[in-house]
Amino acid sequence: MATVHTTARGTEPYDKVYCLGYQVHHEDWSPYPRINKLRQTFLDRGYDVDVERLRLVTESYQQHEHLPEKLKVAYAFENVLLHCGIEIYDDDLIVGEIASPVKSAPIYPEFSVNWILDEVQNHPFEEREHDQFYIRNEKEKQEILDLCSWWKGRTLDDYINVRLDDDQLKGSEAGKKIYQTNLYHYAGTGHLAVDYARLMRLGFDGLLERAKQKLAALDMHDPEFCTKREFYQAVIIMHSAVKKYIERYAVLAEEMAAKEPNAKRKAELEQIAVNCHAVAGGTPKTFWQALQLFNFATMLICVESNGHSISYGRMDQWLYPYYEADKSISKDFALELLEVEYVKLNNPTKLKDRGSMALRNGRGFGGESLTIGGVKRDGTDATNDLTMLMLEASAHTRMMNPWVCVRMHEGTPEELRVKAVECIRAGYGHPKLFNDGPAIKGMMRKGMTLEEARDYCVVGCVEISLPGKEYGWHDAAYVNTAKMMEMVLNGGRCIDCGPHCPRWSQCGALGKHLGPDTGSLDRYASFEEVKQSVDTQFEYWTNQMCSSLCVIENAHRALKPLPYVSALFEDCMESGHDLTEGGAKYNGIGPQASGMATCADSLAAIKQLVFDEKRCTGAELLEAVKHNWKGYEKLYALVNSSKVHHYGNDDDYADELFKFMFETYCKHIAGRKTPRGGIFSPGVYSVNANVAMGLNTNASVDGRKAGEAISDNMGPVHTDFGSHDINGPTAIVNSLTKVDHSLATNGTLMNLRFPQEAVAGIEGRDNLASFIEEYIHKGAMHVQFNIMSAATMRAAQKKPEDYKDMLVRVAGYSAYFVELGKPLQKDLIQRTELHF
Amino acid sequence: MTETGIVFNVQRFTIHDGPGMRTEFFLKGCPLRCQWCSNPESWAPQPQVGVYRTKCIGRKVCGGCEDSCPEGDIFRFTAGKLAGIDRTKCTDCLACYEECPSDALKQWGRQMTVEECMELIRRDQGYYERSGGGVTVSGGDPLVQSDFVEALFRACKAEGYHTCCESTFCASWSEVEKVLPYTDLIISDLKLMDSALHRQYTGVGNELILQNLRRLAQEGRELILRIPVIPGVNDGRQNIEASADFILRQLGGQVRTLQLLSFMRLGEEKYKSLGIPYQMEAVRLQRRAFQRRVEEIARYFNSRGIHCLVGTKEKEESQPE
Repeated sequence: MATVHTTARGTEPYDKVYCLGYQVHHEDWSPYPRINKLRQTFLDRGYDVDVERLRLVTESYQQHEHLPEKLKVAYAFENVLLHCGIEIYDDDLIVGEIASPVKSAPIYPEFSVNWILDEVQNHPFEEREHDQFYIRNEKEKQEILDLCSWWKGRTLDDYINVRLDDDQLKGSEAGKKIYQTNLYHYAGTGHLAVDYARLMRLGFDGLLERAKQKLAALDMHDPEFCTKREFYQAVIIMHSAVKKYIERYAVLAEEMAAKEPNAKRKAELEQIAVNCHAVAGGTPKTFWQALQLFNFATMLICVESNGHSISYGRMDQWLYPYYEADKSISKDFALELLEVEYVKLNNPTKLKDRGSMALRNGRGFGGESLTIGGVKRDGTDATNDLTMLMLEASAHTRMMNPWVCVRMHEGTPEELRVKAVECIRAGYGHPKLFNDGPAIKGMMRKGMTLEEARDYCVVGCVEISLPGKEYGWHDAAYVNTAKMMEMVLNGGRCIDCGPHCPRWSQCGALGKHLGPDTGSLDRYASFEEVKQSVDTQFEYWTNQMCSSLCVIENAHRALKPLPYVSALFEDCMESGHDLTEGGAKYNGIGPQASGMATCADSLAAIKQLVFDEKRCTGAELLEAVKHNWKGYEKLYALVNSSKVHHYGNDDDYADELFKFMFETYCKHIAGRKTPRGGIFSPGVYSVNANVAMGLNTNASVDGRKAGEAISDNMGPVHTDFGSHDINGPTAIVNSLTKVDHSLATNGTLMNLRFPQEAVAGIEGRDNLASFIEEYIHKGAMHVQFNIMSAATMRAAQKKPEDYKDMLVRVAGYSAYFVELGKPLQKDLIQRTELHF
Repeated sequence: MTETGIVFNVQRFTIHDGPGMRTEFFLKGCPLRCQWCSNPESWAPQPQVGVYRTKCIGRKVCGGCEDSCPEGDIFRFTAGKLAGIDRTKCTDCLACYEECPSDALKQWGRQMTVEECMELIRRDQGYYERSGGGVTVSGGDPLVQSDFVEALFRACKAEGYHTCCESTFCASWSEVEKVLPYTDLIISDLKLMDSALHRQYTGVGNELILQNLRRLAQEGRELILRIPVIPGVNDGRQNIEASADFILRQLGGQVRTLQLLSFMRLGEEKYKSLGIPYQMEAVRLQRRAFQRRVEEIARYFNSRGIHCLVGTKEKEESQPE
């Protein structure tokens, strides 16, 4: 097909070569000294726990205990915004944090306190192996304990716990961790992108006006009159508080300007004050003000709830009118402002419970995707100057946030493709690439029109979502399919079933099975029976998980409505329904599967060795994994060798089984109804949960020993014995495109790692670009690259102090390598290094 | 006509031998024995087994190789792990390879039909189209199996794939002629201009090779030539000048790129696996000084008007700022 071109440009040639891979001791990526300074200041700052939100929210809840929940949350939010400390940092041009100092994590007791009480007393945050947080002093530590104690019995966690029965708990994080629903059990949901275009158009005054109109027009015949009234009242309380909060910043900026000796900084502070006054209620008049309004609106979502993956939608699209109309701004200054905002977006920090932390390393909120490129609602290419500038800002800042995502389609212009490839080659883990073809198809599977589907953005790691219209509860649970497979091997029992298990007295000791007995390896008469058993086990466990998720969803609706952010969804505002009540146009719950390849290679080994070639019996294989392969060295070597079919090699034998696993999982999730009137939506990605899940999973038939990571995302197996994919990148891509990615309407994820040398020179760049083009053409949904050799990562392990800002692509997200846990570092190093 | 060949490696997605992304078939058999060769598994024409001791899980728990061998006691073990095979007794029957569970025994060379190759080739079609790539045969020397290459390339051309043949061209013209009608691009080496030295280091004189290259040029064939730069062997002034003279005077502008491949200690592990001594063992070089020397040689060729690059690339690198 003919090459498409665009006139859209950033400040640099579109084919500017940044560098190849991570560079040690390089601190000045940005042409703007301000940015390099802001970035370094960020990196040098420590991670604290901030007690203020906990204090103000508790105080408000104690005062308003008699009120309905919507008003409780509204007054608590108001109390925080009117009384939290605020600060304007040196060199900053855009102001506003999440009501806590930079890199200080607030506490959100509404969701859960048991883990906080437990960890503060028994597993201090500062003593964690990674993701440490520091409570400032003993006095604050005691205050945290006292305040959290008040919340006991009042949290979502408490609400949920009494509503789950043992069948639901036994497979969850409270039991054998076949699935983990931690994220929204212990914290907020997030995973949304609001309608920024509408916010820019209306401003907070416009939103307030609409809420007041709707409140006045409520019909008392409406059976929901009262709940709608509470919703609009809450919106009015909260958005009025927002205006006051922003004005507080205006006043602070004015005070600081008055005292500022440096004329240049004084002028900046004065402009900040002007901007804050302008957007406190009104609509932005300049590009700078648009970014300022964006920053306040977004940060405040994280004051209301600690749900993560608050994403920025198609930012090059909704922000463009303000760039185009602002005749006073130079392209250079527009870029500097974008870079200021990029650095700033790293500030919010989230304290997670130990279990969630193990599933996803990293101290940021995480998942703040910024989507650019792709097609417009009419199907034409959407690239503009901001698309290019947003990639430049990314290459100049090289930080965890924002998670830049470039939407690609067959008509993506050459200039954008090359620029994206140059950023990828620079090796800092951004941007990730999304494929409009399967993504749009996936959106339509969720019931959207073609025009809506084309407007998708990425939320979190890889979840496709419709900004301002969808509350998808993406990332709702992590499913350990390898552990489900264990039930298939052993008649619904863990293969290490015995008295050491905490559940023994209520399970094995009574002769019970954890799951249904669907047969075992020593009893299956045919491979068809094995597949049937997989299907039945998956149905059983997804039943337990999905019904649990519905309980959790109901808890959010009952106790933690979100009126502030709901007002940024037009359908909520028009219907009077909060997001937690199903106010968004599209609703869903998206749990995602990990370990697909572990299962596929296990099935391949069973099919080939037991049934096709009869090289061993099912009983032998079962004994081998029961003994963690000890005494079965020959079999262990064989299942890991190239003599056995493995997924990821463009080998139909194994790839068919991957497809079977993928489709079986998707089938059991897709289409189930959720309490908010939405549908369940399957994802196939693990983020880094495959590592923690592996720790809890016994040996598997694919040649994995107990405790090793299960396979990641859509990736092939790599065990301690070696990588199972040996045919290079085209073979992997061919393997993983044998499935229909659009079935996974909650996203799929693929990591590929190339060493720097593989993409060096013009040929290297062009080959990577061609590779990506064909990848897109073949219909995979997502890809991200690590341009980094195993050697570099090992060097960083040895001298972490020199590699403080080295980002690696983990899965959907980039993180600072040296801050990751050791097992995850190992997993990243083991993933196959590909060469062209 | 032979429709099957003996292939010891298939590399999908290679970017080194010819333009774009390519699928490359490495064929068994070679008339040369270059001391620096990094593919000793290519030398013998028949399939062989290679021994990878680190992958052996041990005689005690396995012993599959010994049990399966019809020749009896031909395996050598150190510390309980397979370390070598008595090649004088081994008949290359591959029974031990079939039995080995752990990839400690690797099969070098297997029969592939043209159709099997085509099936693999087709799988990556989209990558060739987008990158201007295609199919490359290398070796060994693919002309040892010229009938097979002819059949494979004919099939490739019938389906529109770009073809590239990398050969020593140490072959009679009748062999060369078979593949030419189906070959788009030729890659060959200029190892040493002095025939006696050529014989000393590669086992054969260079007359036939140079004669074939001249004839290819006369027929208007575009060539990519390579000099594997080996310290102390062919990096001296005299050989470099003679190489330039030959390219300019005898190949009539048909060399589109001259590529300098700096010597690297590659393939030692494979020598070990085959029980063949590695002759470059003694070569210890100052990597940086050697690299400067290679770049100097490249500048020399370019000053003589020959487009010359270091590495397997054809385009100049652009340097990041």
